[in-house]
Amino acid sequence: MRIVSKSAAVGAIAACTSLAWIAASIGESAPDDRWWSPNESRTFFERLDYANSEGVSTTLNVNGPTPTGGHPFFSSLGPNGRACVTCHQPADGMSVSVETVRERWRVTNGRDPIFAAIDGSDCPSLPQDQESSHSMLLNHGLFRIARPWPPRDADGKPIEPEFTIEVVRDPKGCNLDPQYGLKSPQPMVSVYRRPRPATNIKYLTAVGFPFEPKQGLPLPTDPEIGQMISGNLMADGRMPTIRAQIRDAMRVHLQVPGTPSPAAVNTIEQFLSGLYSAQSVHRLGGLLNEDGAEGGPETLRDAREGDLQYGGSPIWKEFFAWKDAAKNASLTPEQRAFRESVARGAEIFSKRTFLIDNSAGITNMGFGNPVRNSCAFCHNMQRTGMDVAPGQVDLGTTNLPTANSLPDFPLFKLTCREGKQHPHLGRVVYTTDPGFALTTGKCIDIGKITIQQMRALAARPPYFANGSAKTLREIVDFYDRRYRIGLTEQEKQDLTNLMSVL
Amino acid sequence: MKTRSLKNAWFAALAVASGAFANGETEFVTFVGCPIYRDTDLGRKSGCWLAEDPATGIRYDVTDGPTKPQVGKMSLFEGVVTKDPNTCGGIVLRPVRQAVLDEPCPIAIIPPEEFPGRPFVLPPEVLKPTWEPRELPQPPYRTQEFHIVFDFGNDFLIYQYAELITEKISLYVKASKPKTVRITGYAATQPIVVSGRTLAEPASLAKARADMVAEALSRLGVDRKIMRIETNTKPQPIAGLPTPGLESSKRRVTVRIEL
Ligand code: HEC
Ligand code: HEC
Repeated sequence: MRIVSKSAAVGAIAACTSLAWIAASIGESAPDDRWWSPNESRTFFERLDYANSEGVSTTLNVNGPTPTGGHPFFSSLGPNGRACVTCHQPADGMSVSVETVRERWRVTNGRDPIFAAIDGSDCPSLPQDQESSHSMLLNHGLFRIARPWPPRDADGKPIEPEFTIEVVRDPKGCNLDPQYGLKSPQPMVSVYRRPRPATNIKYLTAVGFPFEPKQGLPLPTDPEIGQMISGNLMADGRMPTIRAQIRDAMRVHLQVPGTPSPAAVNTIEQFLSGLYSAQSVHRLGGLLNEDGAEGGPETLRDAREGDLQYGGSPIWKEFFAWKDAAKNASLTPEQRAFRESVARGAEIFSKRTFLIDNSAGITNMGFGNPVRNSCAFCHNMQRTGMDVAPGQVDLGTTNLPTANSLPDFPLFKLTCREGKQHPHLGRVVYTTDPGFALTTGKCIDIGKITIQQMRALAARPPYFANGSAKTLREIVDFYDRRYRIGLTEQEKQDLTNLMSVL
Repeated sequence: MKTRSLKNAWFAALAVASGAFANGETEFVTFVGCPIYRDTDLGRKSGCWLAEDPATGIRYDVTDGPTKPQVGKMSLFEGVVTKDPNTCGGIVLRPVRQAVLDEPCPIAIIPPEEFPGRPFVLPPEVLKPTWEPRELPQPPYRTQEFHIVFDFGNDFLIYQYAELITEKISLYVKASKPKTVRITGYAATQPIVVSGRTLAEPASLAKARADMVAEALSRLGVDRKIMRIETNTKPQPIAGLPTPGLESSKRRVTVRIEL
């Protein structure tokens, strides 16, 4: 069953919240309908619903039905055959899941433009017809991100970095490659990252407060848009605005030569600004905006962006109403139990405190190290779970010793010059992705990754910028280990269930 | 020319604290020591920070500083001894400041034991969200002085403190359209001896602090053309402060809005 138009989807779901219906819709969605190829003549309706393992995720398009033919977001603007939609798919919460990537390999025998040599392979210098050359994308859903070294400032001038980079391990060979490596004529650091969802844009660019506490300065103003920037774009914060990001994506992912056309940039920006995505149905919980709950993308569309959560208005209160799921006699015991679990998960997220330690960006700016707080300390923006302030934090997903074991990844040894150091790891840091430090060249920024939005998660595994959490449960397990939280099995399940309905 | 100085939270708190001693005697302690985190739990940000003055072996509660210590790193502590209830396991210093020094310590995290700790309280004034309109100060305008105090050895603008002052300055500048915004960075280069260590700020910090404030004001719309940046590496404390605030008030930037 393919659900595309607003009336069809809403009608169908409202008419039968029956779990059998949802299960059927999951089973039946045809892969070909799910995949949006470049240059197709389709319509991006005002509402698109797609099944995923947890239920249904929905993307609203407030601009109204948009024909894709000739639209720059859906067109292969450059020579490699890709469009923006190649990596930002509506069925995958405007990101792309590793499952979908594998499916593309299977269906096209590896010829889909998503596998383009430039960043859809482990390194452009590898033989492109071999599956093993695309292992980071096929196994982890990761694209190669090549950052110039040393980093450049906004005017393109080199920044003198506070640290040197040595390649300790390079299983894919790209960082030692004579053409693409760190010692090549145009030195680059190659890291591998997940596509961040291109949706809910007003939240990504929201300036909740004019101040950036992690830098101790007001937010900078971007000269092009004449407004303060959110500092919440890209894993390493390298792009100040959506417009800059659109241009960069054209140049890098689509390999569009020359200066991208301002008209195309405008059209894409306008289109993206109208998209709101979230999980809307859960296979056990049913409709996520039922019985007082306010899940689903409509609330995202209607709410103000950039609001800080606080004690009186905790994040994910959208699901508190389900504490009373028992009152709805029409629910099955499983449905009721699930809804209650989601409500508990929502409370745990902001109320269950633990000791947050050695997390640069948070524990070195005056709060103290350690500091007792909850998930909502860092994930404090209402409705998306981003950081209202620019969210560059070293959670330990890429730096040793806290990163998961990542044998496929390159490992770098960063040595800070005399007088400079990472606030918690010292002068020498081993990392699989220096993160924000690739943008600033600063030791205090090594391993900081910008907190992403937490919506439509179920549509786009794996998680974290490096895909190191394969499931929602693995996210929770990471935190429990990282901060020695001691979550009970029930609490872990509650948090996992919460994330499955966002 | 009449000037009025803005008493920021730290100075205001000092005045209150010293007033608490009826006989006018304020006991002030300064020491360098290793911080201990006591993991009390009265909600978010509620843990206790303790540290011992090596000279006396007395354990102080240093939780209430505008910035908190880091386990495993030595800090400089300066504070006023109070008779406040012992909820953390030490004599409460308030107001108190700490500064993380570049010297390692053993990591010390201890259980709450019989201590309840204290719930975190938000400072009385915090920055308003962007969507809330800012009110411009009303005339008559006059020359104004604002002080921003830093931690020892640091040019970082302290969160939930400095952003309020810089915003106030930017609004006053916007409303009063002054000829000059004079930004003087101070570094306390005169050595002090604390717990057997000689501590002095590097002279370069005076400029670094002034530049940081200038950058902040520029980002808030103050025209760099009217800014005059000056430095002073032999600072005097801010006049009229109670003794305990004297040393730390040298580590500051003073912004003077000259009409
Ligand atoms: C080859 C896959 C690919 C293509 C094609 C692609 N992107 Fe992306 N996109 C990514 C990846 C990977 C990231 C995250 C990179 C990072 O964090 O360093 C990203 C991030 C983004 C973000 C930032 C979201 C956030 O939260 O920071 C936006 C917006 C975006 N892309 C828009 C576009 C647009 C517009 C196009 C077409 C011009 C496009 N992308 C084409 C892979 C792609
Ligand atoms: C110290 C700050 C901090 C705390 C506390 C924190 N997070 Fe995160 N969170 C981050 C950062 C940083 C990232 C991005 C890391 C990355 O991608 O490598 C992140 C990412 C996430 C994501 C996004 C995954 C994705 O790929 O889209 C989820 C979901 C998440 N965290 C859940 C939680 C939960 C649940 C808790 C509480 C148990 C929690 N976080 C506590 C900082 C924090």
